[in-house]
Amino acid sequence: MPPGTALDIRDLTVRYGDTTAVDGLDLQLRTGETVALLGPNGAGKSTVVNAVLGLVPSTGTVRVLGRTPAAAVRAGCVGAMLQHGGLPGESRVREVVELVRRSCPRSWPLDDLVVTAGIDGLLGRPVDALSGGQRQRVLLALALAGEPPLLLLDEPTSAMDVEGRRAFWTTMRRLADRGTTVVFATHHLEEADAVADRVVVVAGGQVVADGTAAQVKAGIAGRTVTFTADEDWRFAGLPGVTAADRQGERISLTTDNVEATLLALLAGGRRLPDLQVRGASLEEAVLSLTSRSRTPIGADR
Amino acid sequence: MSTLFAFQLRRVGRNRQFLFFTVLLPALFTIFFTQVFGAQAGAAAQYQAYATASMVSMMAYGALGAALGATIRISFDRASGWLRQLRVTPVATSSVVAVDVLVGMLLTLPSLVVVALVGRLVNGVELPLSTWAGLVAVLWLGSGAFVALGLLVGHSLEDKAAGGAIGILGVVLAALGGLWVPVQLFPESLRALAHTLPSYWYAELGREVVAGDGPALLTVLAVAGFAAAFAVLTAVVLRRRPLHAVAG
Repeated sequence: MPPGTALDIRDLTVRYGDTTAVDGLDLQLRTGETVALLGPNGAGKSTVVNAVLGLVPSTGTVRVLGRTPAAAVRAGCVGAMLQHGGLPGESRVREVVELVRRSCPRSWPLDDLVVTAGIDGLLGRPVDALSGGQRQRVLLALALAGEPPLLLLDEPTSAMDVEGRRAFWTTMRRLADRGTTVVFATHHLEEADAVADRVVVVAGGQVVADGTAAQVKAGIAGRTVTFTADEDWRFAGLPGVTAADRQGERISLTTDNVEATLLALLAGGRRLPDLQVRGASLEEAVLSLTSRSRTPIGADR
Repeated sequence: MSTLFAFQLRRVGRNRQFLFFTVLLPALFTIFFTQVFGAQAGAAAQYQAYATASMVSMMAYGALGAALGATIRISFDRASGWLRQLRVTPVATSSVVAVDVLVGMLLTLPSLVVVALVGRLVNGVELPLSTWAGLVAVLWLGSGAFVALGLLVGHSLEDKAAGGAIGILGVVLAALGGLWVPVQLFPESLRALAHTLPSYWYAELGREVVAGDGPALLTVLAVAGFAAAFAVLTAVVLRRRPLHAVAG
């Protein structure tokens, strides 16, 4: 593992019964990077996060700053906000935060931690009396308590309002400036775009695109052409078409070159009833990425 | 680990209902049973025997309830995601389980001591000092079997089911194990059933101590065997049952 590698994942596979949630995934992150794991629900993002934390049985290798997941967690190398993490009832915020701080080999000074996580004024509160956004901030404080060099966040802003999100990402940028490696799973393209300096698109348990936000957006800025056709054409081979789908008579083509695709479709004076052209959603874009080769975007295109 | 221990103890201390049901209730039962039924005793020796027996039963009942009750929290902590959260902190899972055992065992002490005090001070039970000490010590150690059972239930069942299961389990173990009505009064078949329950053997530990002989090897092995079985099953559940919803 080259120096400066915060996270090294090789051939990671996670199966739940017959379902393969992560399928031979490779990913290396450099120290100090802010990385978005982007993908639709069920893509395997959470499972990757859980495997890095040693929460799910997996095959392949995961090294966090050179350590196994369990050793990294014990050493306080990794802090995490889980999607299904929670706080203990019948306790106060201060007690929970202090419990985790004291269990860490290093610990973030309480006064500073409270300001960074935005939980000032909450320390005396019973955990059961917190709002959704407040709980998330307490969970952030727990993740940061050990001043971890690697921070894993699984859909961290899902319970936050707009104001809360803005404050949250401001904090994340400040942490990144301090050299913390921040990895967050999200299905919001905008969030990945605004915060991450590297976007890794995950679909079907694999990395289907990897690059800067601009590179990934360029790669997935496809458009969808839909129309009705009763003939059985061979659509997949048309210029620009990256994915084709038929539902009854409704044909739906994903293309990275609308003009070329339309010209080819209309060649020979064919009629295209109910023609529509629109921007591809992230879901469709990721689907189109999955059906393509696994060459990382920005590598050689 | 001491931080976690203090933390968990503080949480349980906030639960007043728990203290009521595990300390006050068996203490009141001890007085009630002894005053109502002990009054019918003819000779003083007969009263002593009755008062001692019902005190031992209620000590066992209180400790059993406390041990099981202390561990309901585990199913809540599992459901809330707190156990999962703890797993991503440097707190070791083994420490979490060890603290749960320690807290459970510590919480059986108040019921044991309070019921013993009520037996001595209110009902006038007379035993040598060494027997009092031995009785509390033996029942305290034996309560580990029910802490293990509580851990098993807490880790196996959903939070909504665990509370009810533990309540029913407590009642069944107390009633069929002869803690409320002595097994001598049971019909033959029920008595045979009682002999398969940990609660019977647990109270038997106490009865053997107050009889002055010290616990019999068979009784110790029976309670230890139940404790070991529950502990092993808990370990299996901890290993097998994921701490999270299985999802993408």
